[in-house]
Amino acid sequence: MAAAETPSAALRRRDLCSRGIRLAGKMRSDVADLLDVYVERQGLDASANVAALDGVPAAAAERWGEQTESQRLLDNLAAYRAFRALLTEMLEEQRDQAGPADTALREALAAVLLQVSAFAYHLEELLRLESRGPPGEEGARPPAGPRLGLGLFERKLRGLGVLRELAQWAVRSARDLRQLSKPGPGGTAAVPAGPAESQ
Amino acid sequence: QNLKCIMHNLHKMICTWDVSSKGRYGQTDFCYTTSHLPPPVCIKTREKRVEIPVSESSITVSITTNSIYGAAFGTKKFAIHKKDISFVPLTPHILSLTPDFSTSTLNLKWSDNGSVFPYGLDAFWQIEILRKETMEKVTQVTYHSKLTHENTILSWNWTSDMPLECTSHYAKIRCYINVTDFVGHKDWSDWSPVEKVLGKDTEPNGSGVFPQDTVVAVGSDVTICCVHAEDQQIKRMTYGPEIYPLIHLSSRSSAIRVINASASDTSGTNVVCTLSQDEMDGTVLFVGYAPDTPQNLSCETSNFLIIKCTWKPGRPSGLYGKRRTKYSLLERISGKNVSCEVNEMNRERVCGFPVLADQKTYSFTLGVSNPIGQTESSLLVDLTQRVHPKTPEKLTVSGNSSTNVHLHWYINGSFTEIRLLCQIEISSGHSEQKLHNVSMPGGKFSTYTAQLNALHPYTKYQFRVRCSAADHFWRWSDWSRVEEHTTLEA
Repeated sequence: MAAAETPSAALRRRDLCSRGIRLAGKMRSDVADLLDVYVERQGLDASANVAALDGVPAAAAERWGEQTESQRLLDNLAAYRAFRALLTEMLEEQRDQAGPADTALREALAAVLLQVSAFAYHLEELLRLESRGPPGEEGARPPAGPRLGLGLFERKLRGLGVLRELAQWAVRSARDLRQLSKPGPGGTAAVPAGPAESQ
Repeated sequence: QNLKCIMHNLHKMICTWDVSSKGRYGQTDFCYTTSHLPPPVCIKTREKRVEIPVSESSITVSITTNSIYGAAFGTKKFAIHKKDISFVPLTPHILSLTPDFSTSTLNLKWSDNGSVFPYGLDAFWQIEILRKETMEKVTQVTYHSKLTHENTILSWNWTSDMPLECTSHYAKIRCYINVTDFVGHKDWSDWSPVEKVLGKDTEPNGSGVFPQDTVVAVGSDVTICCVHAEDQQIKRMTYGPEIYPLIHLSSRSSAIRVINASASDTSGTNVVCTLSQDEMDGTVLFVGYAPDTPQNLSCETSNFLIIKCTWKPGRPSGLYGKRRTKYSLLERISGKNVSCEVNEMNRERVCGFPVLADQKTYSFTLGVSNPIGQTESSLLVDLTQRVHPKTPEKLTVSGNSSTNVHLHWYINGSFTEIRLLCQIEISSGHSEQKLHNVSMPGGKFSTYTAQLNALHPYTKYQFRVRCSAADHFWRWSDWSRVEEHTTLEA
């Protein structure tokens, strides 16, 4: 936690956290819907086993409970910047491969991409409230380069893996933000139960 | 015993014989003579084989075998008649066996060794393709060629029904030469040494599902294989939602055979190979149609700057994105070719082509292609007979008279090559609608005028105008917006 915060900064921070939690909840349900459309349009088996993917940030975190607040925010920001690049790549591939029947998938993908971008911006706002501020984009995880060597089926599976991991991140981010909005010494934070909590 | 003579070409023959195994013998004296060669020709040899010139007449041969000390063991005479001699071409050799993995085609090249034969002889080549570890015969074809008294390199292509990556393919060849007026026995040569193209299942790290992301026509039969590591097994292979029976190719490769493939969804049909430990590999098959020949190809110009061609695409190909059907417009007189950016969403297809200076007639060929096939449609047009002007704009009506008015309108486009015919619709509350035709020389991005007479005084009129080509009518423009005007009192 930063040195003693001014009341307005603390208020701003709680507001950002609660809005962030709601955004993460919305993103999680939209990603779940997107996953259904994606699996159906790509002819995949929803239970397909997707191995760990390089360039896709893993939501599972060891010793999650011991992370500092800055670390939480930085991890989240790096992840959503990576997902922004990954979803952009998926959208380009969709435009290049798909036909008219896939408009719904492209629109759902574009909508989630917007939410991911918005959430990344949200995290940057939170980091600005800290003295250090958000790292530059170049410091972020290297954007996912086009997977030239992959065949189409591997790309389909990869897309499935990206969306699944993003859904996990949305859950983790809500927990992280809830952790951040827990009061420091002497403060209580009334934080609405986001939809993410209702799992 | 068993003296046999074989010809590999028309000049020499090779005679071989057996010797009874009793005793150790040294050199052999092989003497031969023909009717027009009185003194015999003798050859000393340690082998049981000699090469002698071919003779037109029959040959008398005497073979004397000697002991290692030079003492004659015995002599035997033979008479060799033409019918006793066999003609067996030399064993052909494959020069190259080249795979084209993208088309699953093998190209075989060999020399016909024709220089030792007279011009025009028929040669037959039997080619066998074998596959799998067990070298099962896949096909045998007979290829015919004419010898040209020169060594010619022959080439033959074979397209496999399965990707060449799936398993190793082998080829061998033998030949038969139809030596005309040769009375002896003619036979096939021996098979050539086998040439091979190795499959991915022989590469240490070779793995994958093949063909990779390919396009086939609806109704095709397709073989798709899964190549995996030695220590893995295939649990199942699915095509779309269905599990298919496995065809064993080798210890590291199995295939499925899809019969009469139906059209795939836009993202293609997944072929998934599930391996032990639930590892997965796969490919995507795009099953679609070759493009239909475009229907109702029509080209017109609205401004003598751009020619707009439209057509009906016919049956959708079912292929999208990079595999979509592409269109290009070739104008044969000028040789100019444009590729058309086509929006798959709308039923009608449109392509623009620039109007060329000093060219009135256009011979268009619309080329259509996708990964499955191609077609085209042609059209010859005289542009002056295909004018469909844009909607007249900025219609104004003026006049300070009770019975006549002046109309002015603007048409976007250059019509200097033609005369325009414009039709003015005159409506007023109580009288019937009237049409007034007026023609005028076409202008370049011009405003046009017309005068209307014999109108009723103090009457509110609505005017609108449309135009077309005067001499060779093609299509009216759309009507302009309506403009109202009231004539003055009388």
